[in-house]
Amino acid sequence: MIVEFGHYALVLAFALSLVQSVVPLWGALAGDDRLMAVAPPVSVTTFVMVLLSFAVLTNAYLTADFSVLNVLENSHSAKPLIYKFTGVWGNHEGSMLLWVLILVFFGALVGFFGGNLPKDLRAATLAVQGWISAGFILFLLATSNPFTRVVNPPLEGADLNPILQDIGLAIHPPLLYVGYVGFSITFSFAVAALILGRTDAAWARWVRPWTLLAWSFLTLGIAMGSYWAYYELGWGGWWFWDPVENASLMPWLAGTALLHSAIVMERREALKIWTILLAIFTFSLSLLGTFLVRSGVLTSVHAFATDPTRGVFILALLCFFIGGSLALYAWRAPALKQGGLFAPISREGALVLNNLFLTSACAAVFVGTLYPLFLDAVTGEKISVGAPFFNLTFGPLMVPLLIAVPFGPVLSWKRGDLLAASQRLYAAFGLAILMTIFTFWLWGMEKVLAPLGVGLAVWVMAGAVSEILTRVKILEIGPSRAFSRLVGLPGSAWGTTMAHFGVGLTVLGIVTASAFQEERIATMRPGDVVELSGYQLTFDGAAPRRGPNFTEEVGHFTIRQGGIFVAELDPSKRVYTARQMPTTEAAIHTTGFSQLYLSLGESRGDGAVDVRVYFKPLITLIWIGCVIMALGGAISIADRRLRVGAPKPARKRKSAAPAPAE
Amino acid sequence: MVFWILIAVMTAVAALSVLVPLSRARRSADTPSGNADEAVYRDQLSAIEAELKRGLIEPEAAGAARTEIARRLLNAHDAHGQETGRGSRGPGLKFAQGVALVGLPAVAVGIYLLFGAPDLPDAPLSARLEAPAEEQSVDVLIARVERHLSENPEDGQGWVVIAPVYLSIGRPQESARAYAQAIRLLGPRQDWLTDMGEAMVIANQGLVPAEARQAFEQAAAMDATAVKPRFFLALALGQEGKKAEAIEAWRNLLAGAEGTEAWVGAARNELAELSGSDGPSDPGSQTPAPRGPSQEDVAASQDMSPVDRQAMIRGMVAGLAERLANEGGSASEWKQLIQAYVVLGDRQSAEKALEEAQAAYADKPEDLSSIKDVARQLGLTGS
Repeated sequence: MIVEFGHYALVLAFALSLVQSVVPLWGALAGDDRLMAVAPPVSVTTFVMVLLSFAVLTNAYLTADFSVLNVLENSHSAKPLIYKFTGVWGNHEGSMLLWVLILVFFGALVGFFGGNLPKDLRAATLAVQGWISAGFILFLLATSNPFTRVVNPPLEGADLNPILQDIGLAIHPPLLYVGYVGFSITFSFAVAALILGRTDAAWARWVRPWTLLAWSFLTLGIAMGSYWAYYELGWGGWWFWDPVENASLMPWLAGTALLHSAIVMERREALKIWTILLAIFTFSLSLLGTFLVRSGVLTSVHAFATDPTRGVFILALLCFFIGGSLALYAWRAPALKQGGLFAPISREGALVLNNLFLTSACAAVFVGTLYPLFLDAVTGEKISVGAPFFNLTFGPLMVPLLIAVPFGPVLSWKRGDLLAASQRLYAAFGLAILMTIFTFWLWGMEKVLAPLGVGLAVWVMAGAVSEILTRVKILEIGPSRAFSRLVGLPGSAWGTTMAHFGVGLTVLGIVTASAFQEERIATMRPGDVVELSGYQLTFDGAAPRRGPNFTEEVGHFTIRQGGIFVAELDPSKRVYTARQMPTTEAAIHTTGFSQLYLSLGESRGDGAVDVRVYFKPLITLIWIGCVIMALGGAISIADRRLRVGAPKPARKRKSAAPAPAE
Repeated sequence: MVFWILIAVMTAVAALSVLVPLSRARRSADTPSGNADEAVYRDQLSAIEAELKRGLIEPEAAGAARTEIARRLLNAHDAHGQETGRGSRGPGLKFAQGVALVGLPAVAVGIYLLFGAPDLPDAPLSARLEAPAEEQSVDVLIARVERHLSENPEDGQGWVVIAPVYLSIGRPQESARAYAQAIRLLGPRQDWLTDMGEAMVIANQGLVPAEARQAFEQAAAMDATAVKPRFFLALALGQEGKKAEAIEAWRNLLAGAEGTEAWVGAARNELAELSGSDGPSDPGSQTPAPRGPSQEDVAASQDMSPVDRQAMIRGMVAGLAERLANEGGSASEWKQLIQAYVVLGDRQSAEKALEEAQAAYADKPEDLSSIKDVARQLGLTGS
């Protein structure tokens, strides 16, 4: 019975979403307060219903109720408890339910905290949110129902895909979904503004925190996914330009652009129409990601389901939401009021530059991801677009953007002075040059680009630090008073600094880990020693071991540095019994920010195994940088100050004529 | 019934979340959007004062910000002035109430009846496993023991319990593995060794594999009077083509029998088969003894339930039929297949097999006539 309640709750949530998509909108357009007042409570009830059905599905997993088809196909009674729990979203139906749960959760948040929004804006926003939930709950019910039942179920399920039996499954999808789905709120706000034909101050105020929230989670989700792939797939790579990864990178790039244009909009009331367009694009790219992953267009770890009806359904949803919102944009945007004016050299100008590069980079990834699919669909020719394409398109777009990053925060609003801004960055520039020379000295001239990359990363980091130090006038007032001013700085200032610093860290990690990585592949017998980057790895032998639902062959290695014991590593190769599927469990030793990565290959019989060892200098900075970026986002959200960006009073009006915002 | 009441309660909660705000909204104060904008700007003004006090912004920057906000405030005020008062009449309210009272329950129940299975109870695994034994199917009982054994793989007695069950439900390989575990944990016993070997033979479609042979030899060494291992050893000798030794083994075995035992008939048949094909003139001499579902399998199926036995026999017959159709076989195998179909009550297939056998042995009159003899005894027409 419990299962059926969950099913009914989901159906009720669908019916409620329909109400939410029609009644408040009618109210907003007709100016009827009572109809508008329906939106917040309904959004909360919808959330409660979806939460109930999610809890029921989770319960079915925990109790191994194989009369639920979804549980039968994706669970196993011997699976460890944590994977019974995370396995709820380790499959197509369950993960879509989590997606919808987060979607209605955000709707409920707007309903709950939106009291200071104009009523019609809140009603229209929630109505748009209602369309999205109705569309996706219908998708769930009609094509991927997680509550489909089996009459005489077998006694054992098919188990969860072994690659997903990892703590990463507990973290990566929820983070990523909060990111993806969080952008639905900015989308709903944008569409609501278009419907109502105006963008109020409150509207501008609301877009930034929601964007920040979604962006922070998406950053963490992508970083976690990257780290998971790195240690689970056994190849030592952390980014593969896999279409599914690109599907998450595209909304991230668009979301980063949105974040920056939302700042301009909040402070200066400029770039409103552009922000609306970006909000639409960002969520559209999130939907596109969902479509690519779910439709079976791609094959990868993420492609749980390859059912063409689902693909067609999502494609229809995609066309409705993207096409509909863009049509609305084309129709209504010209009616919106233009924002403030600013000169090309100004904080706004820098942010526009940032937007240009980010959207171009996003377009490059878009082309690289979809062109092969398009070509395959039209001509049947199969091509593979891999790292070389992205290195040649994405890379060159990132370099000028990164060079420009430190300039943005030091320019003033409306009209800035590039020379004065540059003077504030002398120290950062000097440090970057020093680090470049140092790297050349350390590694020689054979890799010309790598030291320049290190210099660029240092430039971004030092620029971020020097910006916040000059902001508190450390040179003028001395360290102790500067410190107290640092503490008193608003969260958004710290957020900017941290996020930009995090970008620098990530770039540094990427450059060093890819340029200076060392690799050795060897066939080792017990007692053999392999030497890599100053470490000696001794293979002590391998032994079989039994896990709850797998058997594994564990290799034991001792690592020494100059004869002194450093660590023991136990990489293994597992076979999961229910699916008879092998996985590789790499063993990683972290020293400082660098890692020694060890994974087992084929066993050769007679005790010999193929071993792959990598030394990856500073690789953890890639993910640490992302975490710092996300933290910066969180600090910035916590700063709930109302803000306005006004130019410093111009002593002499010498700047060029202000350019129109759009 | 309780189920439908709870469904009704859930629906009512959903409907109320629409109806309640519809009836209450008028009480709250009206804040048109223009006012909200002004509120935001006023908040911003006070925030700037606060920051100025804490020394976070320069006085001149604060002044500039104030001017900027004042400008926006004026704009917002102008915009607000143009707005007209908003009523709450019209068809919207009726529509919304109708949606909540009729539309919502109709859509929800309608869709649920389309996709749902209201009659199907939950079936958590632990409850299914813990239900009283007499209510449970063999599958559940087996699963119960299997779970116990996967948690306590060192429980030899458990393996002893499940081994014959596996054999009886047609999973001979697992049966053999279970016996092997029992022997590993509790030490070798003649009957376990024999039954393990038997399971291996059945898994191997009636042929005695080398490991099974070792098991039978070990069993026979432990108890020289045990009949079953010696029976299989004799069978193995025949299958290996060691005719003389096989005949001797069968004779020895039959010599110790009283003649009423279940296996005696099978042993006599084997012996007759071997002795009969002894002559050099016999065209069937190069064919080995019949494979497929032989006597030992039937013996193994003695303690099965009728349904299981039937299923096992059907599986074996299907295997034999396939092999004969693809690779051909000896006349005695064809006879066996025809007989098996008749025993299973499938006369149509028996007729078909007879036809195929006649076609296969059309140029060997001796075999052909023996096949026809069998068919006649079984009452087949043999067209």
